[in-house]
Amino acid sequence: MTFTGTIGAICMYPLRGIIRLSVALKIHPNVLTLVGVIINMLAAWALGVGHFVSAGAIMIVANIFDFIDGKVARERNLETLFGGFWDSVMDRFSDITLFIGLIYLYAHLERVDYVIVTALTMMFSVMTSYTRARAESLIEKCKVGFMERPERIVLFMIGALTNRMAAVLWVILVLSVATVADRIYFTWRELNRSPKVEEILEQRIAGQQ
Amino acid sequence: MTIKRALAFPLLVLWRAFFWTYDRATWQYDLWVIAILAFVWVTPPSWLGDPMASGPGPIGWILDKLAGR
Repeated sequence: MTFTGTIGAICMYPLRGIIRLSVALKIHPNVLTLVGVIINMLAAWALGVGHFVSAGAIMIVANIFDFIDGKVARERNLETLFGGFWDSVMDRFSDITLFIGLIYLYAHLERVDYVIVTALTMMFSVMTSYTRARAESLIEKCKVGFMERPERIVLFMIGALTNRMAAVLWVILVLSVATVADRIYFTWRELNRSPKVEEILEQRIAGQQ
Repeated sequence: MTIKRALAFPLLVLWRAFFWTYDRATWQYDLWVIAILAFVWVTPPSWLGDPMASGPGPIGWILDKLAGR
């Protein structure tokens, strides 16, 4: 098993218990999603006032709700198209709220450079989701690019809990730009049925070109 | 070996790293995660002008030790 696979499996143990509890308490998955957003707003406030460790801890709680809502919906046979839509929309609110917290903090510290870095990171994080959603209205699947929401959220938590938010913002920014570019290129390639760059390079390595 | 062919392998590695198509929990994913965590934790906050963190970080500490400071 891989390093990240092992961490994922370890984290799933307590989460399974929380999922079972939510199912037993008959909490509606859409309510879990909303509670996650509200708790994320608290995390954004903690980021805004510079309490990074508290923000990180609150984000862990918020994202437990965010993680289990889909699983609870499946367990209770409450999966609906609206549930998926509601989850996606609430995810964007959660993401943007956290960035606003950081923008407030950096503005308060009169750090225009990091206000801009955070704003750009926010823009490309939203565009990461938008490009996939829009692409999948034209092609079947557009699941390319590294920096998706789970990666972003885990990095945000690491940045807050270890007080390395600046480095985390740079990582999210660069990889989100790459992800948006990937999705645009992938969609263009699928729509135009163009040859794959990786296949051309592999043929070149094999000496066929 | 032509230059085109010699450059193909590093270009392919770079292409696959940024034009990401792998799943989570694969060894390629692990490599990216380790590289990202190394950057986040090892880069001195002062190099990035971090508004909230200060100090040299692990790299700065090692450089200081090597310089005998």
